[in-house]
Amino acid sequence: MSTLTLANKNKRFRGQNQFEPEALYSLRKESWNCFNDLDMPHRANHLWRYTDPKVLLANNPSELMKITPSLPDQTEYNLISLDEAFSGYGYNRSDYMTFAKLTPALEKSGVIFKDLLSATRENEDIVGKYLGNLIGSDFGKFEAMNLALWNTGLFLYVPDNINIELPIRLQRHPSGPNTFHRLLVVVGNNSKVTLIDDYSGECRKEEAQINSVVEIFAGDSSSVKYLNTQRYSSKCNSYITQRTRINKDAKSVSVFAGLGGNVSKTNAGTVLDGPGANSQLYGIVFGDDNQHFDYHIVHHHTSSNSYSNIDFKTVLKDNANSASTGLIRVEEDALNCEAFQVNRNLLLNEGAKAESIPELEILCDQVQCSHGATISPIDKEMLFYLMSRGVAYKDAVNIITLGFIEPTIKNFPGELETLTRELITGKMEG
Amino acid sequence: MANKNRILSVNDLHVEVEGKEIVKGVSLQINSGEKHAIMGKNGSGKSSLAYALSGHPNYKITSGTVEMGGQDLLEMDATERSLAGLFLGFQYPMTIPGVTVVNFLRAALRARNGNGIDMKNFRKVFKEKMKLLKIDNSFATRYINDGFSGGEKKRLEILQMVMLQPKVAILDETDSGLDIDALKIVANGIVDSAPKDGGVILVTHYQRLLDYIKPDKVHIMLDGRIVKTGGPELALELEAEGYNKLEAKESQKVGV
Repeated sequence: MSTLTLANKNKRFRGQNQFEPEALYSLRKESWNCFNDLDMPHRANHLWRYTDPKVLLANNPSELMKITPSLPDQTEYNLISLDEAFSGYGYNRSDYMTFAKLTPALEKSGVIFKDLLSATRENEDIVGKYLGNLIGSDFGKFEAMNLALWNTGLFLYVPDNINIELPIRLQRHPSGPNTFHRLLVVVGNNSKVTLIDDYSGECRKEEAQINSVVEIFAGDSSSVKYLNTQRYSSKCNSYITQRTRINKDAKSVSVFAGLGGNVSKTNAGTVLDGPGANSQLYGIVFGDDNQHFDYHIVHHHTSSNSYSNIDFKTVLKDNANSASTGLIRVEEDALNCEAFQVNRNLLLNEGAKAESIPELEILCDQVQCSHGATISPIDKEMLFYLMSRGVAYKDAVNIITLGFIEPTIKNFPGELETLTRELITGKMEG
Repeated sequence: MANKNRILSVNDLHVEVEGKEIVKGVSLQINSGEKHAIMGKNGSGKSSLAYALSGHPNYKITSGTVEMGGQDLLEMDATERSLAGLFLGFQYPMTIPGVTVVNFLRAALRARNGNGIDMKNFRKVFKEKMKLLKIDNSFATRYINDGFSGGEKKRLEILQMVMLQPKVAILDETDSGLDIDALKIVANGIVDSAPKDGGVILVTHYQRLLDYIKPDKVHIMLDGRIVKTGGPELALELEAEGYNKLEAKESQKVGV
């Protein structure tokens, strides 16, 4: 069943994308066809049980035809100065306002950081190999749409044996009624990088849609730390799909902080694709008002002797609601893996609702797995205990809430911990 | 009757829990510097009285009055009662994951707006008091009661009392679950640090705590009422005779 009746205007689409190399155009065309061929996700599908896909699709599909990727205007590039706390800074609105900057030392080391459209022309060998490889047009309707229409993107390439000590910060904003972000990261063997992927800003129109795809490829013995913060204004509906693939002995730490937006759906995960691969996935959602969060978190073990852990916490107040589905999938030939997940939800008042569904798809016999989920209202006896020491009700609620997320947040890598803590306290204090 | 030494005055207090009357008319007058023990069997209403005085929302006060230092306690919520100088040492202290002891105490002291330990001296006083109660320094950064033994929890209750310097401290079965060494430490902590010109209410089953803390008055609670009040000798008498004998006597009196 397709509810979207959008004519396939390939010709016009091509005409507007004259800067793109042929390979990218083919990829877009193919993805566009996939998008049109795929039915809207059915609500009976477990991934879409909690969020209506229509909310994430523009009411007026003809608007999609106005999406015009264009080469960025480099004049602003030289105006931005790099904060000394960071190794790089990428800014992303619509493509002509996309820029990326690295410290001069890193530029010399062979690290490439630029807007994705330029990279498709200038670094076709790398981009061609990886773009759409983890999240391609067969991933799902919305992912196909992104690969067809992405209109603002960034590309980071870290060669082998490079340790980028300070984080690279990305600031991503919506523009117009449809924003299609795309981020491609390729990290070489034995290299280290920390990325802060910060989504914020206002959607001026009620129906503004944001669709973002993040693909991260991490080589042998590499380390990737990725923080995804979503703090859109209250009118934004967003759908973010993220995957990291880590090879032999590589380490990935991903943190998702869901704070903003109206309807926010995220499908994030790590593919453990080599022995010794180790992935930690953390999430903290703080919802209030009428916010809706839907997080699907995945650990996919395709290799033996790989290790993963999911620790996801949700706090909801007012009439906010959330669904958390955590999937551990271990392939038949992926032996001796360890995979754990826990999802805890704290409801601060009666109107708030949470659902938590841990999922296990274990296809092999030799595996160590565990999962746990809890949903509980704020403990009245804890509140009384704190109040009996002179702490006001509101402060007691905040102390318990911060205590609830503390055991999770304290495991975050230093720079990510500080930032996440600031964002959460900021939201709690309104 | 005005008594300027009177620090806590409970008059004919009735308390209901889930529609059932648990405290059936308790009166208690505590003067500055006094220590009172309330003794009684399980289910006699001792802990309910303690909770009700501290403002637990499940304990509904149906009639009676409570005044502390001239203020109407029943008008206040649990926070306000604490700020006014009331302290409850819990029989079963709560575990609060993710909140460290030191941060919690800072928050509690900050809420007092300077009425208590000067924040500048916080660290010094905190360390001193931990030493006094033989609490290892590492407890400061542990989560409140998380993985604490029974004795450690009770010591932490007393540490909080010491730090918050209340006017009236109600210690609800602080002695239960303590071995003899821990009991001595806790009792010494109470004797050393209990408010000198304030009041202490020791709620207990057993005489043994009173070996270390000599009460000025002993009250015996039975079925929601104080049925007998006396000096320290009453606790010894009770220890020798047991609650059942007393219960039988009192039942006869009221003609049950």
